[in-house]
Amino acid sequence: MSQHLAKPVRRALFAASMPVYLLLYAPLALIAVFSFAPAPGGVAASGFWYAELLHSPGVLAAFRRSLTLALGSSILGTVLGTLMGFGLSRFRTGAKGGFAAALPSLIIYTPIIMPSLVFGISELIFFNLVHRATGFLAAGLLTMGIAHVTFQAPYVALVVFARMAGLDPNLFEASHDLYADARQSFLHLTIPVIRPAIIGGFLLAFTLSIDDFTISYFTAGPGSTTLPIYIYSAVARKGIAPDINALATLMIATVIGIGLLQYVFTRHRERRPMPRVGD
Amino acid sequence: MSTLTEVPILRGTAERAERMARAFRLWITAGPGLGWIVVFLILPSAILLAIGFFSIGNYGNPRLPLTLEPFREVAGYSILGWSPANITTILRSLVQAVSAAGLTILLAYPVVFFITAQPIALRPLLLLFVVLPSWTNQVVRTYAWMELLGPGSGLSHLAQTIGFIPHHLGLLPGIFAMQVGLTYNYLPYMVVPLYAAAEKLDWTLVEAGRDLYASGTKLFWSAVFPQTIPGLLSGIILVAIPAFGDYVVPMLLGGGKSMMIGSLIAAQFLNTPNWPYGAALTIFMLIFTCGGLIVFRVMTKRLGGSEGTMM
Repeated sequence: MSQHLAKPVRRALFAASMPVYLLLYAPLALIAVFSFAPAPGGVAASGFWYAELLHSPGVLAAFRRSLTLALGSSILGTVLGTLMGFGLSRFRTGAKGGFAAALPSLIIYTPIIMPSLVFGISELIFFNLVHRATGFLAAGLLTMGIAHVTFQAPYVALVVFARMAGLDPNLFEASHDLYADARQSFLHLTIPVIRPAIIGGFLLAFTLSIDDFTISYFTAGPGSTTLPIYIYSAVARKGIAPDINALATLMIATVIGIGLLQYVFTRHRERRPMPRVGD
Repeated sequence: MSTLTEVPILRGTAERAERMARAFRLWITAGPGLGWIVVFLILPSAILLAIGFFSIGNYGNPRLPLTLEPFREVAGYSILGWSPANITTILRSLVQAVSAAGLTILLAYPVVFFITAQPIALRPLLLLFVVLPSWTNQVVRTYAWMELLGPGSGLSHLAQTIGFIPHHLGLLPGIFAMQVGLTYNYLPYMVVPLYAAAEKLDWTLVEAGRDLYASGTKLFWSAVFPQTIPGLLSGIILVAIPAFGDYVVPMLLGGGKSMMIGSLIAAQFLNTPNWPYGAALTIFMLIFTCGGLIVFRVMTKRLGGSEGTMM
């Protein structure tokens, strides 16, 4: 492909692209640099703010909550999403192109295309009304988890559906011919062959949950501050601060590290990296 | 399929039985997930939209009778008379979203063609480096620009020296900072669809043009650009729609809840609640969003672009 463009054009493209890459990483790099700012009192101990994080009960609690929320919601989101992706690819009914056939897709795409602000506020109102009427579902980790499952399950369903679509339908015929009932066929045929999609869907669900801010923010209660909410509240209150720089640097390093690892492990599959939708 | 269907008399009943079995299996597998989404998202958003037609009661709670009062408030009417504040906010959001799309296009084109000009093995890695920052949390990404643009930062000093801003101020908060934040946050959403279009570009058209002695600019506009339009349209939708309703950027970089429609809406449910008014604003925002999507679908259909749907 590279021979399609003349050398001067390619040089110009290189010269125009490097500043864009710089633009993408400069702000993140700057946070990392500032996170090594000297401690108050002028003690030039590098890493002071990192040590500070480890002794901050607020940060550690927020970290634990983020993990709990991501793990819990991802498990349920993966179960519901896998069943949806499997069911819709095997047992879709109704005339092709008809409303009955299109309805499940419409439902599944709603959480994906809905602006996250509208998503979050809808949940806020709903949980608020339910809590007022019944006393259940007070804003907290549980309501956040319910909201997370709602956006995770559709993504898992899409991943599983794509995997199912790539399978030979004769596989299911064969298991039927061998007198496997629906349950046996699901447990001993479907689950093993779609396992990579289930694992991939789970990891996607997990990162979507960890990354989410807006929907979490509107469904959170007083005692359910997760890491992104912790950072947001601190920044909204006191602006830029060195301890927040340190925390942000750790989060950036983790995400970039995971991204690179994922690339190294899946390189042979020739996949295109996607920007994350969750914010 | 089943051996029963080979007997003509039994075909009708067998088919019906099989159809019912399929429907039953569909509902026990996909049912719980679909039900979850209906109960926890579709129903709540329907409630939110309905609240836009209620009167404003004590503490901003919705109360009967049904009315269009909240929409009058969106248009700027209140007991204090008419104010252009809301219309300004909505227009500002619109301009910022469209500008963000324009700026990301300018930044994305060179990057996309730079990547496609590299050896095939290198391309996924170069694309990954564009996308990686978007995997970090949006709060963190936006916070990074507070550091860069704040009063006392190098960029602010530079802007003061060239007279772009007064001496005691920084580049933050304000419209400029929001524009930078939106462009930065949504750049990968432009690069990825544009790259998908550029990757499968038909270069024989370019070669044909070159054989006919077309200039470089002419080649780009007649042979390359038209082929990237489907990717460009997807990119515009992926950037402009979320940028229009963004919440984090106006809060952290804009310096006020009335800076963009997203933060204005959120304020009606957080600080001093006014649910019907907030719901009416949301309806307004969704109308814009749907309008954009419809224009996009009509344009891609007319251009013969195939929007691959997965399910």
